[in-house]
Amino acid sequence: MISLSSYLVISLFLFLCGITVMIARKNIIAILLGIELILNASALNFVAYSRFGHNNIDGHIMALFIIVIAAAEAAVGLAIAIRYFQNRETIHIDSATQLQS
Amino acid sequence: MNQTIVSYLSELFAVNFSPWVVILIFFVAVFVVVNVMALIGGLATYAERKISADLQMRIGPNRVGPYGLLQFLADGVKMITKEDTIPRDADKFIFALAPLLCLLGVLATLAVLPFSSGLTLTDLNIGIFYLLGVSSLVGVGIFLGGYASNSKWAMLGGMRGAAQIISYEIPVTITILSIVLISGSLSLNQVVERQGAFPNGWLLFHNPFSFIGFFIYFIGALAETNRAPFDLPEAESELVSGYHTEYSGMRFAFFALAEYIEVFVVCAVATAFFLGGYKIPFNYGAGTLLGQALQVAMFFAKTFALYYVVIWIRWTLPRLRVDHLMTICWKYLTPIALFNLVGIAMWVWLFNGRSLYMIIKQALVISGK
Amino acid sequence: MFLNVVFSLSALLTVSGALMVVVTRNLIHSCVFLLMSLLGIVGLYVTLNADFVAATQLVVYVGGVIVLMLFAVMLTGGNNTKEVLSRFGFESLPLMGNVKTYFWGILSAITMMSVAGNLIYRVAQSSLASVLEQYKSSVDEIGTKLLTDHVLSFEISSILLLGALVGAAIIARPLGSKQLNEEK
Repeated sequence: MISLSSYLVISLFLFLCGITVMIARKNIIAILLGIELILNASALNFVAYSRFGHNNIDGHIMALFIIVIAAAEAAVGLAIAIRYFQNRETIHIDSATQLQS
Repeated sequence: MNQTIVSYLSELFAVNFSPWVVILIFFVAVFVVVNVMALIGGLATYAERKISADLQMRIGPNRVGPYGLLQFLADGVKMITKEDTIPRDADKFIFALAPLLCLLGVLATLAVLPFSSGLTLTDLNIGIFYLLGVSSLVGVGIFLGGYASNSKWAMLGGMRGAAQIISYEIPVTITILSIVLISGSLSLNQVVERQGAFPNGWLLFHNPFSFIGFFIYFIGALAETNRAPFDLPEAESELVSGYHTEYSGMRFAFFALAEYIEVFVVCAVATAFFLGGYKIPFNYGAGTLLGQALQVAMFFAKTFALYYVVIWIRWTLPRLRVDHLMTICWKYLTPIALFNLVGIAMWVWLFNGRSLYMIIKQALVISGK
Repeated sequence: MFLNVVFSLSALLTVSGALMVVVTRNLIHSCVFLLMSLLGIVGLYVTLNADFVAATQLVVYVGGVIVLMLFAVMLTGGNNTKEVLSRFGFESLPLMGNVKTYFWGILSAITMMSVAGNLIYRVAQSSLASVLEQYKSSVDEIGTKLLTDHVLSFEISSILLLGALVGAAIIARPLGSKQLNEEK
């Protein structure tokens, strides 16, 4: 018996895992992994509500846009991380403390 | 509900299966398909050696069995009995996972291949999209295989292989999208049903853009399966066999089997999309099992013909350098694919989706009246 | 019955993948477990009748984002497990506050959890039927909606993707010799 709350609990768990990864990891790319988990949790939420609550297709379209935006943001974020590594030779997040090098 | 092989069988025999029998029939069907594909993969190695021998004016394997047909079994036994080595500092988990990812990505695409109108394992509404998604797992598997070997050549081969695969996915996907515009559905069976049995009904000759699209798709698919002349990631003389350098025995057999089955899948998609799939002339034996068997035979005949062309190309053309490879993809194939997409969209809008043959026929009929 | 089986398997895959992403130290293993979690989410979408979204997730995330992450890990020095772990690694989280901080933190956490629990309980009581209605593919509807109701977001997202493409290519470009000479 699957109801809406089971999907909500799963997306809550994914969200919490994503936040934990964002807070506790010190590698820039690991932080981007956490961001992907968070975005997936919200997309799952949208699709679950569209199926159980409103029974229309708008939640699916929102999930598509979330996937698109997450891909674009991952690309740009990783490009910045690579450039940062080329300049500083490290990707530890605690060394990125100054606005001007 | 989309049509599956179980629903077709229950229509044919006019019985309603209970859920457990459904599971059993699916299991049997999948078992048969996977085993037939593995057999085809093995025979493809034999066919490659025989065809390359024919092209090079020698004989090829002819010792093991009649005409050397059981050579692939001997190769299989050899690979099973080899020692399974893992490099010392390699990442054991990923080293074991990479061949499995490759094989999973390829075997999961067998579920939507349109063998015949009824015997497709499942006719998903998003068929070709699912196929493209699942075959991206092969790229991840190649990359992880290259990384996990903890060796410079393997790492280089893995990175080049992954870059090649994700680059060539773009013209392939755009070409498939342009064909989906003509057929109006993502489902592979619907795309085949849109075509006719004779060449004038094929989507290959539908309009000049789809003719170019066939070659774009074919070149892109050759590059996606790491097949020559795009086989730099696994070249024997360049990178000491690239990303599967450190793999031995059955793990290497998984990589090789995945590659040969993927070539079959790519040729199958090409026949379904461009060459009229399983359609037989005059729709002979439409509702019977004989008709289904004829359709399966036609599908396999066309796919094997394309497979022969793939092997022929491998032993004829020299290998491409990696920057030439990337140049071809980004500077030639992708712009042509985009141009095809726009061209096919305009053709479908201008002529209401009629093919060139139909337009000429209707023009002649009108002018002859 | 199949729906329950597929849902349980996908949920197990998703949740265990996400947990392993948090726990493993090796960065490549985290990427592989994220891949596993995303495959589980594909299964969940399938149980929600969202077949097009599931296929899009498979193509974009599995085929694109994960490969991109793996490339970035390789290009930024890999995961060298032999480096000296700093004082602020995952193994030793700093104290992050004193008794007052923790008191207010725990109080607000209890408040938020009770609000969330109330919401979930209310939703669980009044959820719609989970019986699967007649399956129809969502591709046609999504296509129509994207070009009629949501066409503005569609076009803006295409411009966003163009900007991301050009931006990422320019940012990650290797330094030209002129820039290297300037820095010297």
